[in-house]
Amino acid sequence: MINEGCRLMVVDDELIVCKRLKQILEKAGYDVTVFNNGEDAVKKLELESYDIIVTDLKMEGVDGMKILETAKRKNPDTRVIMITGFAETETAREAFRKGVFDFISKPVEIDTIKQVIIKAQKEISGSKT
Amino acid sequence: MRLRIWHKMIIGMAIPSFIALLGVLLSYGYIDDVQKRHGYEQIADNINDHVLEVRQNENYFFHFKNGRFLDKLHKAILDLKNSVNKISSYTVEEIGKEDFALLQDAIRTYPPLINDLYDNYLEETNVTEKVRAEGRKLESFVAEKNRTSELTSSFILHLRLLEKNYMLFRNEKSFNALNSKLTEMKKLTPHCFECNPYIEAIHNLFETYKKSDALVAEIQLTGDRLEEITRRMAQRERQRIGSFLTKTKLLLAAALVLLSTLGPLFVYKTATYIVAPIIRLAEITKKISEGNMTLRAPLREHDETYFLATSFNTMLDKLQLTYNSLERSIELLNEKQAQLVDSEKRASIGLLVAGVAHELNNPLYNISLTVDAMKDELNELTEEKISEYIEDISSQSKRAHDIIDNLLDFARARKSTEMEKQNIVRIVKESFNLVANQMRINNIKLEQDLPDEPLFIKGNHSKLEQILVSILTNAIQAMKGNGTLRVSLRPDPESNRIVLKISDNGQGIPEEEIRNIFEPFFTTKPVGQGTGLGLSVCRSLVREHNGEIEVESKLGEGTTVTLKFPQYKENA
Repeated sequence: MINEGCRLMVVDDELIVCKRLKQILEKAGYDVTVFNNGEDAVKKLELESYDIIVTDLKMEGVDGMKILETAKRKNPDTRVIMITGFAETETAREAFRKGVFDFISKPVEIDTIKQVIIKAQKEISGSKT
Repeated sequence: MRLRIWHKMIIGMAIPSFIALLGVLLSYGYIDDVQKRHGYEQIADNINDHVLEVRQNENYFFHFKNGRFLDKLHKAILDLKNSVNKISSYTVEEIGKEDFALLQDAIRTYPPLINDLYDNYLEETNVTEKVRAEGRKLESFVAEKNRTSELTSSFILHLRLLEKNYMLFRNEKSFNALNSKLTEMKKLTPHCFECNPYIEAIHNLFETYKKSDALVAEIQLTGDRLEEITRRMAQRERQRIGSFLTKTKLLLAAALVLLSTLGPLFVYKTATYIVAPIIRLAEITKKISEGNMTLRAPLREHDETYFLATSFNTMLDKLQLTYNSLERSIELLNEKQAQLVDSEKRASIGLLVAGVAHELNNPLYNISLTVDAMKDELNELTEEKISEYIEDISSQSKRAHDIIDNLLDFARARKSTEMEKQNIVRIVKESFNLVANQMRINNIKLEQDLPDEPLFIKGNHSKLEQILVSILTNAIQAMKGNGTLRVSLRPDPESNRIVLKISDNGQGIPEEEIRNIFEPFFTTKPVGQGTGLGLSVCRSLVREHNGEIEVESKLGEGTTVTLKFPQYKENA
């Protein structure tokens, strides 16, 4: 399968989001690791690198912006997709400046997420070749 | 008739004074009478003195029977006559004309009687001498004769003794003794020629003496009459004086009684008459002050209270007008205030809706992901999986529902302004829920220090919630993301109040602006972000709860809003 070997990290403080994204994305063949809070995700990022990160922006403690910073610092090739329920232009601009791949507003259909992930995959493979 | 108060007072005082004056004047008239009568009494007494003088001289005359005392008696009678004649005819009328007539009558009869008596006294001397001479003759005749057995010397001696006794005593006993001796002598010597002159002399003596006695009796009777008349006159005057004095006493007593009963009565009546309209006015004033503004002072009296009442009524009318316009203003003000609270509330709802919209995204996102997952596994769904999905969808729907409910609760126009027992701890927690989304969006941490047990105040749930949401929103906005909101709720046993402190570590308020923060339409937010009504409405709502609101702020450090509400008391 095309998606196998693509390491995906999902961070969201909503448990159901974690569960469903993991389930759906794994079914689509991705290697998915989920984190229910920002702290654990950042810790993990310090140790390991992921191809694509799907993270919620607003979270208690360590938020999506911090994850974006850490991920980009550790591995600039990592593609970060940010999902937010509250899209402020200012925040979006900051995220793009920090190198976010895409900025998606909730509620969002899974197909949209999948397409963005695929787009990110293409970009990764494109940049590799 | 328009009687001024001082007219009434003068009338009230004058009537008792008039009674007193009348009593004194009437008794003064009697006193005058008494004085006059006293003069008459003295006149009567004076006449009486003269009468007594006459009587005394009369006695002297009877005793001494000589011309000297006759003259004295005449003089006394003349004096009496003069003193009586001296009295004016008016006085005579006053004292008693009849008595004076009798008096003058008696005085007139007096001199002829005493003159007659005096003549008779002279006669008496002659007769007495005659008797003695004849007696001596008879004695010597009997002594010479001696032979006649019928008349003895001793008989004659006895006769002469009886004769002397009679001359000395001149009473009935001595008369009877002498008379029977003479009869005896006549029997003894019926034809004694020598005896006759003596017997005749004795008879003459008898006659003279009898005449004297009769005259004396008549004079004495006249004297007695004189005495009686004058005494009667004096007596009558004294009686008159007595009766006048009694009348005066009665009159004075009556005046005193009248004065002591009618006087206070009149003064009381006058006072009542004067005070009654004032009392009526006072009663009306009291009723009006108790809120019956439609009442007016009665316009019955026509003294100063009439002017007072009319002025009072005019004043009341003006006051009523002012009051009416004031009431309209208050109504208008209340209306405006309600509008203000309402618009503020709508603004709050606007703010909350933004938060809620974002907050709703979470459960909706959860549901849509779950549905997507279900679609994804449509052909391989196990019963276990299905129930998990359904469970998730249902829990997330409920979550969305709760969010909406929360907002609706706040937004629902609670017309109830009833003040009830409220658990302030619960209301604080509910308002946290309302601003939870804003806090999340702005990345605000909440540190709450709330008691476990409920704390009660008297208040209106919706209004209290509005106050809290407003202050919490202000705090959240002041921190501009990434801050800590500290909320503490503590009862203050000393003041019996509940103290709620809401602190932020935001930008703070400059000192020169802090005193304006309660002014309506004052805002530090950019145009379009705030209505500028928040704190001013908050303050009026807090005051409706008998509470206080204070704001302390330090630029760059943060702001603390302190709310104090009186603790709920049963029956308060």
